[in-house]
Amino acid sequence: MEVALSVVAVGLILLVSVYLVDVADTAIGYSVSGMQGGVASWKAPLVTAARLMLRRRTETERPDREAWALAPPLLGGLAAVALTAIPLSAGLDVADIPVGIVLFGAAMIQVMVAVFLHGWGPNSVFPMIGAFRMAAVGLSIGIPFSLVLITTALPAESLSVGVIIESQQDLWNVLRQPLGLPIYLVTALGFSFWGPGQLPDGADLAGGTNVESSGPALLVWRVSRAAVLVAVSAMGTAAFLGGYLGPALPGWLWMVAKTAAVALVLIWTGHRIARVRVEGMVRLGWLVLLPLALVDVFVSGALTL
Amino acid sequence: MIVAVLFWVFSAVAVVTGWLVFRTDSMVRAAYWLMASFVSVGGILILVGSDFLGLILILMMAGEMTIMAIFMVMFMMNPAGLNPMTMVHQHRTAIVSGAGAFLALAAVGLLAEFPDRPVAAGVDATVELGVELLGESMLVFETAGVALLAVMIGSVALVSKNGRYGPADEGSVEPTLEVEES
Repeated sequence: MEVALSVVAVGLILLVSVYLVDVADTAIGYSVSGMQGGVASWKAPLVTAARLMLRRRTETERPDREAWALAPPLLGGLAAVALTAIPLSAGLDVADIPVGIVLFGAAMIQVMVAVFLHGWGPNSVFPMIGAFRMAAVGLSIGIPFSLVLITTALPAESLSVGVIIESQQDLWNVLRQPLGLPIYLVTALGFSFWGPGQLPDGADLAGGTNVESSGPALLVWRVSRAAVLVAVSAMGTAAFLGGYLGPALPGWLWMVAKTAAVALVLIWTGHRIARVRVEGMVRLGWLVLLPLALVDVFVSGALTL
Repeated sequence: MIVAVLFWVFSAVAVVTGWLVFRTDSMVRAAYWLMASFVSVGGILILVGSDFLGLILILMMAGEMTIMAIFMVMFMMNPAGLNPMTMVHQHRTAIVSGAGAFLALAAVGLLAEFPDRPVAAGVDATVELGVELLGESMLVFETAGVALLAVMIGSVALVSKNGRYGPADEGSVEPTLEVEES
């Protein structure tokens, strides 16, 4: 019973936050281009959703039907799984498992598989290129992404996200491990393929993995993509910004506010920073972020000893 | 009860998806059926209390199988791996070795005496694993790790420089389409 309730709660939290992500995306888009958004920003996600629900599906020649149908719900499911490991306030999480941060990492790396299958499925050129882009980017930034997350477990001496948050009582990890959050945010943009990291389904590829998608499937894909952004923002908050820790206000409010702030920064990059080329992302991952992440591990490890 | 049901579900999925690896006609599907099989094994590992090993298996296999799919596509003369192709070859050898391996493993499963040493409830499997990796067995694991790293660096060094169409770091030149007249 309790399990069923928390599963429903995670679903509801994700749906509401996905709506807010889209509102924020539209509003920031308006503000950046100097237009008055107003009520339009609040209506835009609902209008898009209604329009997509009514649109018919695209058919392609000899698609991989199973992979194509599986990819959007798989992406959303992975975002939900990732979110279960993160406590909303002290002790309030769905899966309080001792290796929560590994669960999150496993779900995020599987995002690469979901995107690859989404591009592979329709048997079409642009989606296929998008799929290979995701594989290139995911494999290049996956190791620094995991390393900076695992490093936050060193001072906590635990892989549990709750314990990692509690270990930041005196000093948040963003200050204790200054390399962590910047590397995390850059790699998180790659894994949630958002903003400058939107390579698999970017406009530069005419929509990439989404070229052949239409109707409800495309809606599920967009919702899932925003859900992944919520999950990485929540984990960035928990691992580096003290999660639910904060004075005066109740813990869950701090968690929500900090997650919203991280998500807003990530969304904002999409409107202000140009898309990075795949080569640039691969080079950045292997030549810059990976060595920096190793420095982060070794320095933080030495300081913990 | 739930654990027993989940165990049989994961086992069945692991076996069926493992079988589908050879029944499918596409390299990418074969790779991801194999991943589904490994994910089910990871689920079984979590059921027996090895949370860390189970999740690490699921985490690693996502990367491994994607790399495997890409490499298979690269090595096959098959644009992006989209053309269907059979996943089985050398039928006689495959049947003999497959049946032999199955019989040997089944014999081990039926005849071996498995130890029955339930772990105390308070023991943290992840801590035990860490102590084992960096304690008693450190030399073995570190030797294997360094050897594997050397192999990886060596293979990257072997393949990186000269591609089929010239030096890899200077951009590739496409082969000419015109037939040279002799």
